[in-house]
Amino acid sequence: MSTPKTHLIGASLPRPDALGKVTGAARYPADLIRPGMLHLQLVFAQRPHARIVALDTSAAEGAPGVAAVLTAKDVPYNAHGLIDADQPALCGDVVRFEGDKVALVVAESKEQAEAAAKLVAVTYEDLPAVTDARAALAAGAPLVHAELGTNLLLHIPIRKGDTARAFAEAAVVLEGAFSTSWQEHAFLQPEAGIAYVDEQERVVIETAGQWLHEDRRQIAAMLQLPEEQVIVRYAAIGGAFGGREDLSMQHLLALAAWKLRRPVAMQWKREESMIAHHKRHPFDIRCRWGATREGRITAVEAEVIADGGAYASTSVEVTKVATLFASGCYEIPNISVDGYAVYTNNVPCGAFRGFGAPQAQFAAEIMVTRLAHALGMDPVELRRRNIYREGSLEPTQQPLPEGVSALPVLERCVEEARARLRYGEPRESDVPSAPHLRRGIGIACGIKNVGYSFGYQEQSTAKVHLYGKAELERAVVLIGAADVGQGAHLILRQIAAETLGIALEQVSMVTDDSGEAPNAGSASASRMTLMGGRAVHDAALAARAKWSAAEEYEAEAEVQFHPPATTPLDPMSGAGRPNYCYGYAAQAVEVEVNTLTGQVRVLRVISVHDVGRAINMQQVEGQIEGCLAQAVGYALLEDFQVRDGHVLTPYFSTYLLPTALDMPPEIVPVVLELADPNGPYGARGVAEMPLVPFAPAVAAAIHDATGVWLSQQPMTPERVLAALSAMNGQSTAG
Amino acid sequence: MKAFDHVTAASTREAVELLSSAAPDGARLIAGGTDLLTLMKADLIAPPRLIDLKPASELRYLRFDDAGALHIGALTTLADLERHPEVAQRLPVLPQSVRDAATPQLRALATVGGNLLQRPRCWYYRGDALCWLKGGSACFARDGQNKYHAILDHSPCVAVHPSDLAPALLALDAELVIHGPGGARVLPVESFFAAPTDQERVEYRLAADEVLAEITVPRQPEGARGAYLKVMDRQAWAFALVSAAAQVALRDGRIEHVRLVLGGVANVPQRIRAVEDLLTGQELTPKLAEQAAERAVAGAKPLAHNAYKVPLARELARRALLAATGLMV
Repeated sequence: MSTPKTHLIGASLPRPDALGKVTGAARYPADLIRPGMLHLQLVFAQRPHARIVALDTSAAEGAPGVAAVLTAKDVPYNAHGLIDADQPALCGDVVRFEGDKVALVVAESKEQAEAAAKLVAVTYEDLPAVTDARAALAAGAPLVHAELGTNLLLHIPIRKGDTARAFAEAAVVLEGAFSTSWQEHAFLQPEAGIAYVDEQERVVIETAGQWLHEDRRQIAAMLQLPEEQVIVRYAAIGGAFGGREDLSMQHLLALAAWKLRRPVAMQWKREESMIAHHKRHPFDIRCRWGATREGRITAVEAEVIADGGAYASTSVEVTKVATLFASGCYEIPNISVDGYAVYTNNVPCGAFRGFGAPQAQFAAEIMVTRLAHALGMDPVELRRRNIYREGSLEPTQQPLPEGVSALPVLERCVEEARARLRYGEPRESDVPSAPHLRRGIGIACGIKNVGYSFGYQEQSTAKVHLYGKAELERAVVLIGAADVGQGAHLILRQIAAETLGIALEQVSMVTDDSGEAPNAGSASASRMTLMGGRAVHDAALAARAKWSAAEEYEAEAEVQFHPPATTPLDPMSGAGRPNYCYGYAAQAVEVEVNTLTGQVRVLRVISVHDVGRAINMQQVEGQIEGCLAQAVGYALLEDFQVRDGHVLTPYFSTYLLPTALDMPPEIVPVVLELADPNGPYGARGVAEMPLVPFAPAVAAAIHDATGVWLSQQPMTPERVLAALSAMNGQSTAG
Repeated sequence: MKAFDHVTAASTREAVELLSSAAPDGARLIAGGTDLLTLMKADLIAPPRLIDLKPASELRYLRFDDAGALHIGALTTLADLERHPEVAQRLPVLPQSVRDAATPQLRALATVGGNLLQRPRCWYYRGDALCWLKGGSACFARDGQNKYHAILDHSPCVAVHPSDLAPALLALDAELVIHGPGGARVLPVESFFAAPTDQERVEYRLAADEVLAEITVPRQPEGARGAYLKVMDRQAWAFALVSAAAQVALRDGRIEHVRLVLGGVANVPQRIRAVEDLLTGQELTPKLAEQAAERAVAGAKPLAHNAYKVPLARELARRALLAATGLMV
């Protein structure tokens, strides 16, 4: 698709919602709470694994102001989940992690609900908990879901070529063991919302999420209502990052409103949000990489284990993504990777920006740089010789989808790094006055799928109404696409205006009501610009064509866009066509390591991305910079501590997010526009990509500065010091 | 948080009277509230009554007397202390210590008195579990996750004191003026802080009917200089992993007076007398500073996850001594 001359595409138009968000005028879900609503308070399990022996709600029901105490027996169909419906709304027999919910107190005031929740008497029989993914796979481990007979949620093998022979013939073979930890989404706005039953007997939930129609599907299933009888509306959404993909409280608001026939409201405290919603998966990765003397990477073998926590969420898909990317963005002829998703009694893990790609490529990219060092080769040159090109075969034995830009992205990154960081030049002594401050540069690449994978019936639907007289005067675009802060609504509006040849002001958007707007699919997997944008583009074209032929001064068209089909992975070999589009990234990072304290400061970042086509350049750069803030936290700071299934860091005083001062003083976003064949005006996604190469680039920079490799994320001062003292032959700290 | 009754005290005397007439655990003083409210929100304490001390404006002052002592009213905010030009000139270790405490917003609210009375940030103490410090039978950090905890074993509890200001006050030999029903008493800040014991599971020694009214910093020896250094996991808004405060006065190039205090290593800030003994009368050289720093951590017994604090404390001690002596900026 090509539309060479555009005036709105690429323009850094200001965000219409920005002023309201800065001034406080924007209405987030908690701002919808009104006097007279009933307030909900959950009773959480607060233990990792136990059988509920008795549940006595009588004292709570008798407490002042209490309208009801709902338990498992009040839930019509007590199971939900994005993929497997394995999570009870309210637990009836067993609790499987500390954020499991056992009762929902409904009262006239928030204070009364909180007080009554403390009176709900639950008698538990504690069960042995399994809180380590490897231990969960051992014979005789306690079972998280006894009825399944195993804690193994998924095993996916990928087999390509003959790794045994390749390793035997390799000139260099290196082994690595890596671990990554949980990450909390830490969106600014903790979960909140209201619900009521309207005059048409529909249960209406006004809240925040990432996918109106999927929330509606799960809520309708739980209440055993037709989907049309459930309306989900999104208020202003205060960040999501994957953390609003799973239901958190939306279904509980619906349950209480439906049961009591009164408007209800709930707002989680930060610590409730921290223990109750899913996290980024911790991974344990052990791998072996082999290469020839000429710098051809010939073999990768890996075992990739994800701690999925107590419920399935999207663990299966995250683990498949990690398994697919265990060999990075390199065409390697011999691959043997086994991915495992495992149930434990830890907090459930699910979607988080990057969706398995950052964890897998933390290991893969470090291994590539180590291989280069072992071969005496420039790490960029080794990448150049092996990186994906047009037509390269994926680990799943199929050619990559068209539009492979990994190499131009890498080359541009190296070019910028040479010019801006003097990458490749011999370094003077780092900071002459302070010999304990050492500087280094690291480069890493990244790949992440855009859109849903592995045979999912991917679609996005948009409807466009046109109005006018002699001339086309205005357009209304209907598309149920969540603007989670990434700016999707402006992007979709720019695409509509451009395609219709009218001004932005002539286009209005209907986006936040599942009853009015068609299903755009999820605001996740970096997919909304490509998928939602293409649906809007195609619907606009179709409506415009009807308009030309119309006698009335009105036309409308609805289009459901389907990208090229993907396939499930073969259960024996992993063979298949996993994705229809990838985003490619490369980063160069300069750090300063304080060898006395172990602190790492990121000084400069060059972040290069092929976005196909920037619809709004300012928003693309904003995504890159914002994502890098999350990447800095992930790489260096955010240390989610869990002990025996108990979260020790439910507050931001100990779960440390980066502050403005922790951000690199210099970020250079570099945007390449090598058109994707399916995206609107060639656009593909960018939202997740900056998170993928960052941690391994920092690790490489730390190595460049100090000579030590870190293999655990986050790379905290304690770990840096321990690695330094191990290298210096002292006793290992921590 | 439970509902509570809110009353105001217009003076120190009134605050003491209100405290004295309250039932045991019946009332708490609130000033900035930056720590008290976090304790109440986490249901760690639930005082039925809060006595708001902020109207007692007589307690918000900073002044030097004729003898050169600094008097800090307990309601002085950290921001007041940070910005006071004469304090910055005469006792630079004080503004240095509060500069990296919390955030500007919090420093504008938090008071000097409250800063000394804040409770530990240990995640077991702040969490749901009934740990020893809250009256339980065991310290869960001792064998649990303890990367932020003590490397000196002084109590069944291994939480560390969160204050940045306290080590600096210790290094300045500050004293506290405490008002109670029987009148005022004066206590060295070093005696005010004490590791929690079975009888008193708290990090300070203050009766329930007493009001911390003033912090007095005596005139420092001629030419004394100070330094406060803090290591955090991030660049701002974090509690110290380890901190070090040093105050040194030289005469004819030799150390006449020295204080070295470490924070983040024990239940309360630790004045390291062994280092003071080693250095007094000596000429500080980089080599001697290294020896002193080694001695500062000689008794360290790190837990499973905090051995990194030993080299941190050693290095901060060395650098604080050098900085206070002017050998290193």
